[in-house]
Amino acid sequence: MAAITEQTHVPAMKKKKKRSIELKNVSVLYLFLAPAIILTLIFAYLPMFSNYIAFLDYDFNKGWFGFGSKFVGFDNFAKFLTDHKFYTLIGRTLLYSVTMMIATFPAPLILALLLNELRGDRFKKIVQTTSYIPHFVSWVTVAGLFYMFLTVDATGIINNLRQLIDPAAERISYMQDAHNFLPVLVISEIWKETGWGTILYLAALTTIDPQQYEAAQVDGASRWQRLWYITLPGLVPTMSILLIFSLSGLLATNFDQVFNLQNKMIRLDTDTIGVYTYYQGLVSGQYSYSAAVGLFQGIISFILIMLTNATTKKLSNVGIV
Amino acid sequence: MSNASMKANRIKRTTGERTFDTVNILIMLVWAITAIYPFWYILVMSFNTGADAAAGPIWFFPRVFTLENYAFVFQYERLQTAFVVTALRCVIGPVLSVIVTMMAAFALSKRFLPGRKALLFFFMIPMFIAGTIISNYVVISKLHLINNFLVYVLPGAFAFFSMVIMRTHIEELPAELQESAMIDGAGYGRIFFQIILPLSMPIIAAFAFFAVVGNWLDYYTNLIYVTDRGLSTLQYVLYEIINRAEANSLIDFTKTSGAQARRIMAQQNNSVPTPEVIKMTVMVVVTFPLLFIYPFFQKYFVKGMLTGAVKA
Repeated sequence: MAAITEQTHVPAMKKKKKRSIELKNVSVLYLFLAPAIILTLIFAYLPMFSNYIAFLDYDFNKGWFGFGSKFVGFDNFAKFLTDHKFYTLIGRTLLYSVTMMIATFPAPLILALLLNELRGDRFKKIVQTTSYIPHFVSWVTVAGLFYMFLTVDATGIINNLRQLIDPAAERISYMQDAHNFLPVLVISEIWKETGWGTILYLAALTTIDPQQYEAAQVDGASRWQRLWYITLPGLVPTMSILLIFSLSGLLATNFDQVFNLQNKMIRLDTDTIGVYTYYQGLVSGQYSYSAAVGLFQGIISFILIMLTNATTKKLSNVGIV
Repeated sequence: MSNASMKANRIKRTTGERTFDTVNILIMLVWAITAIYPFWYILVMSFNTGADAAAGPIWFFPRVFTLENYAFVFQYERLQTAFVVTALRCVIGPVLSVIVTMMAAFALSKRFLPGRKALLFFFMIPMFIAGTIISNYVVISKLHLINNFLVYVLPGAFAFFSMVIMRTHIEELPAELQESAMIDGAGYGRIFFQIILPLSMPIIAAFAFFAVVGNWLDYYTNLIYVTDRGLSTLQYVLYEIINRAEANSLIDFTKTSGAQARRIMAQQNNSVPTPEVIKMTVMVVVTFPLLFIYPFFQKYFVKGMLTGAVKA
């Protein structure tokens, strides 16, 4: 926007006058900010501070934010850190999120590269538009679709397909088995978000200078060499940012997704920290204990995001902070 | 690349490249079909009689066509109220958040504003340190927002990330417009409503669309903060039907007298909906409205998302 700044050059006198006019009623600008400030205080800062109940034996009926509840220090933290079950939960949460990250991170990159190689613009556009559709669906609907497709009933497409190939095949109720939960998480995530994820990569691809490709072609670089030495390095900043975001969520598996894809049969074997906090806190009413678990998770996530940010900044000069 | 060199390239294409292109097109086709087929499938099932759907596999088209499933679903009172609640929050939520966010963006676009840096910092901190599910619940309940419609629209009304993008947009508008208005005696209020807002319509449309999508798809707020059945949203009702109620939901469908009559009629011609087809019909009703409006907004949101990614 260099053009605009050049145009706004005004004589010094006028500039001074303008400044005084603007400063005169500057207080009005704070009125413009007031709603945002109030909302942030109430809905972001108050919850932040009321994390304090993790250090209390919180009685929900006693006053605002635990005045009158007993202070117990780190008791709640000690309680879950000495609980066997908690390590199973952390282990499972890590297993789920690490697998998810490794399995889903490359998908949008690969598909964006393939999409970029398509020659017909019309076809490219149609594929792209279609691939965004699952993003506009809730996890409730995704869960519904997966139950429908994986059921033993006649509506179970997967079982129907298997019997089409081998009529003797036994029909399986996939969603009743906790072993299938992780693959279901991975596949549903890829199905829902891959198309949407390609948007950023496709945009990054358009910023790579075409002359680089031409020069490389003249020098006799093959298609693979061009991909490896020009395209991929050009995508590193985008990849870094997306990596930071996904790493920061290592201990925070998608609540919506896990919660919806679970069912009574497999719930206890598929709980992650997020879902566990919900059931313990809001369903069973152990507020302080769940707050402690939640706070613990939040702190680890915060450390992770800072670490990744620092690392990627060092490696590729890209960071979000 | 000139036309001639492109032609030369095409001639030079090797067998390897042609195979790659063919395979690539096939992969892209499979990908597109995978994205769309599930929706086609529930649509087909929602137009098929329940008894027939339970009898054997259906692949591409309804085998025994019926509109009975929709007649049943539309009689379901809970779905009707949920539709009204969802529609309301999809209007009020986006309007509120666009106003609050734009106003803040406008004020913060003034570089001479005293305390601007501190304010930005104040807004940014919650992005890194947030409340947990429990501490949020405590605050919302102490504010008496449990079972209150406002819980759907207030907490999300200000979004820092959107504010940053809007601010960048406002800063890029020609400064003379505001200056000359100011010399003519217009205050900040006038400038905001008569210059900034009209010039920001494309970006506002993009954000409003995202807000509508967010409001339409959200069921979490309902799950955590709202137990009042009269305030249920569509996604939550769908959740109940898919995950909890199973056959019980069918009983609900037949409570009204109109539904009773339908049921008797349906029994006579053997088209009573089964829980399975009811689920799919509700899924169609809850999911498709958004899918229909999405292509019209695609232009806006892709642009909006890119401005966000590049500038923030």
